[in-house]
Amino acid sequence: MHEQDQNRIRNFSIIAHIDHGKTTLSDRLLELTDTISERERREQLLDAMDLEREKGITIKAKAVRMNYTAQDGTPCILNLIDCPGHVDFTYEVSRALAACEGALLVVDAAQGIEAQTLANVYMAMEHDLTIIPVVNKIDLPGAHPEQVAQEIEDIIGIEREHIILASAKEGTGVPAILEAIVRLIPPPRGQVHQPARALIFDSHYDAYRGVIAYVRVVDGLFPSGSRVRMMGTGVEVETLDLGVFRPAMMPLNQLATGEVGYIATGLKSVDECQVGDTVTLAAQPASSPLPGYRPAKPMVFAGLYPIDSNAYGELREALDRLKLNDAALSYQAESSSALGFGFRCGFLGLLHMEIVRERLEREYGLDLLITAPSVEYQVLRTDGEIVTVDNPADMPDPGVIASIEEPVMQISIIVPSRYIGQIMDLVTGKRGAFETMEYLDPQRVLLKYKIPLAEMVIDFYDQLKSRTQGYASLDYALTGTQESDLVKLDILVAGQPVDALSLIVHRQSAYAQGRELVEKLRKLIPRQMFEVPLQAAVGSKIIARETIRAMRKDVLSKCYGGDVTRKRKLLEKQREGKKRMKMVGNVEIPQEAFMAILSLGEAKEKEKK
Amino acid sequence: MHLYIHIPFCRRRCTYCGFCSSAGLEHRLDAYVRAVCAELAALREDVRIQTGRLSSSLDLRPTIFLGGGTPSLLSPAQVGAILQAASALVPLEQAEITLEANPGTLMGPVGRSPCATSLAYFRSLRTLGVNRLSLGVQSLHDPTLRILGRLHTAAEARQCVDDASRAGFQAINLDFIFGLPGQTCADWATTLDTVAAWDINHLSLYSLILEEHTALFAQVMRGEVDLPDHDTTAAMYELAMERLAGAGFVHYELSNWARASRGYLSPRWPSGEIEVPLPVCHHNVAYWLNVDYLGVGAGGHGHIYPERYANLTDLDAYLAAVQQGRRPVEVVTPLSPSDLAAETMFMGLRLVEGVRFAHFRCRCGVEMEAVYGEVLRELEGLGLLERTTDAVRLTNRGRMLGNQVFASFL
Repeated sequence: MHEQDQNRIRNFSIIAHIDHGKTTLSDRLLELTDTISERERREQLLDAMDLEREKGITIKAKAVRMNYTAQDGTPCILNLIDCPGHVDFTYEVSRALAACEGALLVVDAAQGIEAQTLANVYMAMEHDLTIIPVVNKIDLPGAHPEQVAQEIEDIIGIEREHIILASAKEGTGVPAILEAIVRLIPPPRGQVHQPARALIFDSHYDAYRGVIAYVRVVDGLFPSGSRVRMMGTGVEVETLDLGVFRPAMMPLNQLATGEVGYIATGLKSVDECQVGDTVTLAAQPASSPLPGYRPAKPMVFAGLYPIDSNAYGELREALDRLKLNDAALSYQAESSSALGFGFRCGFLGLLHMEIVRERLEREYGLDLLITAPSVEYQVLRTDGEIVTVDNPADMPDPGVIASIEEPVMQISIIVPSRYIGQIMDLVTGKRGAFETMEYLDPQRVLLKYKIPLAEMVIDFYDQLKSRTQGYASLDYALTGTQESDLVKLDILVAGQPVDALSLIVHRQSAYAQGRELVEKLRKLIPRQMFEVPLQAAVGSKIIARETIRAMRKDVLSKCYGGDVTRKRKLLEKQREGKKRMKMVGNVEIPQEAFMAILSLGEAKEKEKK
Repeated sequence: MHLYIHIPFCRRRCTYCGFCSSAGLEHRLDAYVRAVCAELAALREDVRIQTGRLSSSLDLRPTIFLGGGTPSLLSPAQVGAILQAASALVPLEQAEITLEANPGTLMGPVGRSPCATSLAYFRSLRTLGVNRLSLGVQSLHDPTLRILGRLHTAAEARQCVDDASRAGFQAINLDFIFGLPGQTCADWATTLDTVAAWDINHLSLYSLILEEHTALFAQVMRGEVDLPDHDTTAAMYELAMERLAGAGFVHYELSNWARASRGYLSPRWPSGEIEVPLPVCHHNVAYWLNVDYLGVGAGGHGHIYPERYANLTDLDAYLAAVQQGRRPVEVVTPLSPSDLAAETMFMGLRLVEGVRFAHFRCRCGVEMEAVYGEVLRELEGLGLLERTTDAVRLTNRGRMLGNQVFASFL
C-alpha cells in the first residue's frame, strides 16, 4: 500500500456515557455505509454478549470496517473501533483510543456531559485525537441541545459550529457525522517503509483459531502467513490468517499501514497476546515497541468459592476457560477454614468482578459464593520484610506489623452544585481528602479528591448515586499508596472466627463498623435451630456482639384436599434454599452475609432520611 | 376406601386463600354436580379400583369428604345426588361423611335450596347420611373476619355451631387461623377459651400462611396490614397446646385436636393408644397415614400408589372432559418407592403418635431403619425425633420445627 492509500483511511472511536446512544449511532453508521443491511441488523449489533446487552455496556471492544464514498466522490475506508465505557476498563479505553486519529463524542441532549465521558475526552486529547462532538437524542421531549452544545463549548473548548446535533434513533444528523469524519479526522501517518508494528487494542479467544488479536497497523505491512512476535511477552507465532471485520471476519492477503483488522494467532490464551502489546514481524522485527504497554493489573480482590465444595474442579475449569478471554482476570487457589477450597481472584474493579461472577454462574452453571472485595496492602513487618496482602485473613499478627500501606485513588466527581455538601459528607466519611473544586458552569462542579481504594470498593458508588439522586458521575484513577493506621476486624460466628468475613478497616472506625456489621449479619443469617452468637473482634478484644435467636416454629400449613404434591414442593423448595447456603461449622450462612460489608452505611443513611 | 370430592365454588374469595375455587359461578353448580356424579360412575368402572387395592390394612373407617371451595353452597338434593353416586365406591352406612361448611352461606335462606335456615339445612344433611361437619370459623373477631373477606360474623358462626348440634351432628370440627392481622396472644387465648366451651369435639388450628397472588399478600406487601411476627405465632401455637389440653382436647396431629364427647361412637383410634373413642377426622388420618384415596371434581387430588394425580382445575376443561367420557386428569405424578417412603414419613410424622414401624413396613415393604436409619439418628441427636417401642415421633421441639424434620426425608 502506498502513502496515498493511507489518506483514504479514517480510524475513529466513539466516546459516550452509558445510555447516551453509542450503540444506536454505531448501528446507523453501519446501515448508512451498507456494511450491514437493515434486514441483517440485529438490535445492538456490536454488543454480542448477553451480559453486555443486559447491563447496557460494552465490555469487549470491536472494530468494523466501513466503505464510504464522501460527497466529493472520494472513496474512503472508515474503521470504527468500539471501546468500553466503564471506568473499570480505563486501560482498554486508552488502547482503543491510541489506535485512532479521531473520536466522536456523543452526549445525550437531555443529560449533558458526565464525569466518565469527560475523563475519556481528556484521554483522547492526550492522544491528539480530533474530537467531533455530537449532541444526540435531540428528538427526546426533555432535550435541550443548545444548552448541552454550550456546555461542550465551555468545557472542552470546541466551537459551536463544529458540534453536530443528531438523533441516531431517527437518523437525523447521521450523514453529517459521516462527512465530518472524512473532513475533520486526519488520516493515519504511519511509516510505510519501516519494519511493521501493530498495536493490539483487544482480543478474543476462538476455540478453533486460538486468540484473535484486534490490531491497528501503525507502521509497515503484515503479509498473510507471516511469523509474528509479540514484543511485550516475547511470544512468536505463525499467523493462521489475517483480515478485517465487515463486521464478520474477512481474510485478506495483507494488512497495510494505517489499517485496522485482526490477526488469528492460534495462541491458547489471551495472556500471551495482551492488550497494549506491539506485534511485529519475526523476520524483520521493529527496534522498539509502541509506547504505553502495561500488563493488566487487578485492583480489587475477592475469594470465589463453590457453594457445593465438590464443584471446586468445575470452578477451576471455568476460570481457566474465562481467563482465555480475559487477560485482566487473575486467580490462584486458596483455602479458607470456613469455606473450604476456592480461588483468590483479582479484578479491574467491581463491575469486572460482577461480570466474572455472573458469567461463571450463567455460562458454567456454578453456584458461587463471593467474599467481600478487598484491595492489595503492602505490609512492612518489624523484621524489615515487605509482604503483599490481598486477603484480610492473611494479615500478619499485629505484633509483627511495623506499618501498612494501602492503594489510593484520585477521584473526579461531576455533580450539580446543590449536592456539594452531600459529596463532602460522603467522601470525608470514607477517609477522602479534598483536592480541588472547579465550576464547569453555574450549576455544575467538578470535585477532585484522594481516597483510599478500600473505601471505594465498599458501596461508594451506590452511596454517591443515592445521595445525589443519580446526578453525580464518577471517574477514578490509581495514584499511589499511603500509610494508614489499619487493623483487621474479625467476625466470630458461634464462637468461631470465620476467616471469610474478616475485614481490614481503619482503627478509628473499627468499633462502629464492627457493631454495624454484626447487626447486619444478625438480620441476614436466618434463624438456626439453636442460638447463634455473633461477635466482632479486633485482635483478642470483642468490640460488638449480637445474638441470632433460635428458630421457634416452622410447620407446614393446611393440607388442601390431599394435595401432597404441593406440600412436597414446599418442602423441596425449603431444602433447595438450604443448599444455597454455606455450612460454616453447623451454622448455615447465606451468600448475602459474605457481602454484608458492601451495604454497611445504608442503614445509617436511611435513618438520616 | 377414602374419597375426596372437591366443590370449587365460593360466593366470594377469601383474601388469604390460594386454593382452587371461583366466585360467582354458582349458576353452574347443577351442571357441575352432574359431572361429579358422572366421574364417580366412571371410576366405578375402573379396573384398578374394582380390584380393591384401595382398602387399607388399618382400622380406619371408609370416608367421604366434601371439601372446597364451599360445599355448603350445595343444596341437600345436590349433596344427595353426589352421595348416591359415591355409594357405589364407598359403603355409606359405615362411612365417615364430612361436609365443609361456611357459616356465611348458611345465614338466611340457604343458597338456592328450599331450606329456610341453617338448622333445616343441617337436618337435611343428617338425613342424607352426612355425619361430620367442618365449619370454617377462622376468627371470632368481626373486623378481622372482614379483612379476611369472610361472609359471616362471629355471632353467626356461633349460631351455626348451635344449629349443627341441635340438628344432631356429633362430630363437629371448627377451623381457626392464628397469626392473623393484628392478632395478639391475648386475643388468641380468649378465642381458645371461648371455643373450648362450645359443644364441639374437634378443632383444626392453622398458622396463617401468606400465599403469593392473594389479596392479603398484596395488602401486607403494601404495608396496609400487619401480621404478628415469628415469635408471636410460635407463642400462639404453644398457647393452643396448653389451653386445649386443659379443656380436654387431645392433640393428635400437628394442627388438629379432638376430644371425646358423649354420643360419639366410633371404632377405636387405630393405634389403640388412646383409651376412649376419639372423634378424629378419619379422612385426614388417611392422608397422614399415606394410604390410597380418590379425588374427584375439578382440582381434586388422588393418590393410588404408584402415582398421585390432580384433576383439571379449570371448570370448563373439567366439564368438557367428563362430558366426553375422558378422565378429567391434568397432572399425573409417578411415585418411586423412595417417594412413597419419604411421603409416608413426612405425612405420618404429623401425627403425634408418629409413624409406627409396622405401618411403614406394611406400606413401603421395607424396614424404616433400612431406609432412614442414619437420618433418624441425626434427627434424634438434634432432639427433634424420639423412638418409642413401636414408632418414631416428633419431640415437643420437633413439633414446633416440623418442616426441618420433614425436609430431611426428601
